[in-house]
Amino acid sequence: MTAGGYFGQALVVNADAGTADVLPLPDELLRAYIGGAGLGTWLMHRLGPPGVDPLAPAAPLAFVFSPLVGTPLTTSAKFAVVAKSPLTGMLNDALSSSQFAIAGKLTGHDAIVVHGACERPSVLLVDRDGARVTGAADLSGLPAAQAETRLRERLGTGWRVAAIGPAGERGVRYATISHDGRHAGRGGLGAVMGAKRIKAIAVRAATKVAPAHPEAVLGAARDLRARSFGPATAKYRELGTLANLLAFNAINTLPTRNFQAATFPEAPRLAAEDLAEMRRVARNSCASCTIGCEHIYSARGGKKMRVEYENVFALGPMCGVSDPDAVLTASARCDELGLDTISAGGTIAWAMECAERGLIDAPWLRFGDADALLRALDEIGERRGLGELLAEGSRRAAERVGGGSAAFAPHVKGLEMPGYEPRTLQAMALGLAVNARGADHNRSGAYEADLSGDHDRLAGGDAHVAAAIETEDRAAVMDSLILCKFLRGVFTDPFAEWAALLAAVTGWDVDGAELRRTARRIVLAKRVFNIREGWRPEDDWLPERLLSEPVQLGSGRVATLTPQRLRGMIDSYYAARGLDGHGRPDPADLAGLLLDHVAAQ
Amino acid sequence: MGTPKAALEWHGSTLLRRTVGILARVTDGPVVVVRAPGQDLPALPGYTEVVDDPREGLGPVQGLAAGLAALKDRAEVAFVSSTDMPFLHPAFVRRVLRAAQDGADVGLPVARGYPQPLAASYRTRLAPVAERLVAEERLRPAFLFEECVVDRLDEDALRADPVLAAFDPGIESVVNVNELADYQAARARPAPEVAIQRFGPLAGGHRGPQPARAATVAEAAAAAGLELDGHVVAALNGDQITRDGQTPLATGDTVFFLSADAGG
Repeated sequence: MTAGGYFGQALVVNADAGTADVLPLPDELLRAYIGGAGLGTWLMHRLGPPGVDPLAPAAPLAFVFSPLVGTPLTTSAKFAVVAKSPLTGMLNDALSSSQFAIAGKLTGHDAIVVHGACERPSVLLVDRDGARVTGAADLSGLPAAQAETRLRERLGTGWRVAAIGPAGERGVRYATISHDGRHAGRGGLGAVMGAKRIKAIAVRAATKVAPAHPEAVLGAARDLRARSFGPATAKYRELGTLANLLAFNAINTLPTRNFQAATFPEAPRLAAEDLAEMRRVARNSCASCTIGCEHIYSARGGKKMRVEYENVFALGPMCGVSDPDAVLTASARCDELGLDTISAGGTIAWAMECAERGLIDAPWLRFGDADALLRALDEIGERRGLGELLAEGSRRAAERVGGGSAAFAPHVKGLEMPGYEPRTLQAMALGLAVNARGADHNRSGAYEADLSGDHDRLAGGDAHVAAAIETEDRAAVMDSLILCKFLRGVFTDPFAEWAALLAAVTGWDVDGAELRRTARRIVLAKRVFNIREGWRPEDDWLPERLLSEPVQLGSGRVATLTPQRLRGMIDSYYAARGLDGHGRPDPADLAGLLLDHVAAQ
Repeated sequence: MGTPKAALEWHGSTLLRRTVGILARVTDGPVVVVRAPGQDLPALPGYTEVVDDPREGLGPVQGLAAGLAALKDRAEVAFVSSTDMPFLHPAFVRRVLRAAQDGADVGLPVARGYPQPLAASYRTRLAPVAERLVAEERLRPAFLFEECVVDRLDEDALRADPVLAAFDPGIESVVNVNELADYQAARARPAPEVAIQRFGPLAGGHRGPQPARAATVAEAAAAAGLELDGHVVAALNGDQITRDGQTPLATGDTVFFLSADAGG
């Protein structure tokens, strides 16, 4: 009997033939990986051919739901898109939210996996009649939001749509998949979908799924809802993540001009505290969410867009641009094209530095030039001019340009860096270096430790290692349950509290200790996948600039992250994770990953 | 005074806690407290190391020997402070420490009319010299100074540091409290002038830095209408992050208050 909250199966769609099979997902497996990013990792092990080109038809693309989806638990309407990343060549999971998660799961599947490729631009439909593919020529070239609107008008009520924009169709390696204005943003999974010539996936609920203990779930939902209105989420409710910008500037952790500085003198022009007063027009929330972190702003000309810290950081200070209208317009342009703002901003910032150093022939591209930023985005989305190079991401572009530009290409494993300065956040430095997805703030929230005051954020050591492991483990569980990380501050004993939620939904006798083991399993399974796909020890590292150029703080102290210090933290991380000195696991530990589980059935 | 100097109340904290906190703010290395055998100490932050002075009543050179010995494998230079200087300023400590960087074995302030051996910097390699002097019962710091290179820093030399000149022009860093009246007078002074700035949801309509009087981070938080809890942290001068309300402040400090959740 399948546990509450699950269907015990994945739908595996062959886009070549327009057919689908059901892959059973036994209870033991679901309990080992939960759902979301965890289950997606296992699916990639199981269904992804080793060494496959992420943009080849054989590469699987999975939309993975979770046992909590469809319950009244706040922030639970989320799904993970999982595939091998065309940007990093490694495992990538990108989360998104809202009604697609609910409708997708209620097609009767814990995951929908697509492999193969359609002959022509298509839409994949999944509902009570199963999976089928229809033509989508009229949607080609449209922004994801327009394609979504047009498709829903065509299909009628009940359908929910995840779509790609022009960048995904053109194979930009950091293209997004969008739904209802939200994005599975990182790692270029929109390009994977585009390579399959699937413009959109539409899902419609066909069935229901009940939790094992409905009354307990309802009680937990009421409690969590009340806590979600408390001080732990005030930042998200009142100003959204953009509240970080001015604070990060004050504490020297706002990456500026491609990490050449950690403060941006013009940051106040982009501050949430002022922009909210002048430009905010609405506040929204995802389905099933009581926090309401989405702050909608209006740029000059009336264009409206959701504003987050990461897109303002990447398209603002990172590129030296301080005009709020330009930054908001650039952010909206990324949404229209279907580009990950962090990778777009990081790659353009790198190119601006290359242009200023004379390494590329683009005299129009300069730090602080808002028009140049917008032109670069358009060229990337259309893969024309300089955009053909920049669509490859900063790592590949630096390999082509040479001239020492790899030293300041702002990426780890090919994924561009988020807006957290590693030299002044040294637990985060470790988290960024070793994380399976690459430079990422959502799979390693180690900045939490740096900003806790529990240790010196400028002097990475063993305490930072322990903190980075703890936050990585927490993220592994939250991304698999799935619960929004903006809720994390309301949990005082997180693993135990999450286990109680999972027990109420599934009926399992799971406890906090089991969830800690689950976290380690998921983290290890991601690493093992990457090793299978060619990961090398030197991939767990940071860009040379961050290890050779100190940051001077206004207090007089100097933040220095030496290669030796980073090496020491990585070695300690490997030891604590049970890995050898080269970051590889003991073969005896692989049995617990259940990687051959279905094959052995 | 009825209470050991180390435990004298100071703005909700103690004099020793303040001294330890000021030194921790300035130095990269450990902060060591040398105590007499069996001496009770007030609560101290977790990073503090306490070493016992093996022999009681032998004066400052004995304490110096014990403290420098505790640090000699981990730091080249140490700032040595008595516990009873309630106005010790970080800029003063920085300036005095710089004397060693310029080649001296001892950076010795000569301020407010006297040499200040217990507000001075010492190379930790002097530990065995100090121990020998104690064994020889030559217990005055002057004997130590005879055996090493001393940079005597008069008030003009100290004030040549622009930060120190701005925030402690009277070199009140070396004012100590020997009598109850001294302590009462010091305690009656207004708290240092600092600036506070709130960010994000904590700003509540306030923009930019605002002046306040606060001797500790907790007092600054109170002036900002905030409470340091699991959701609010403070950053001193854009540098160290803390939730410890007893973290001492000094004139000229800026205290940033920000949301503890930096998710983005």
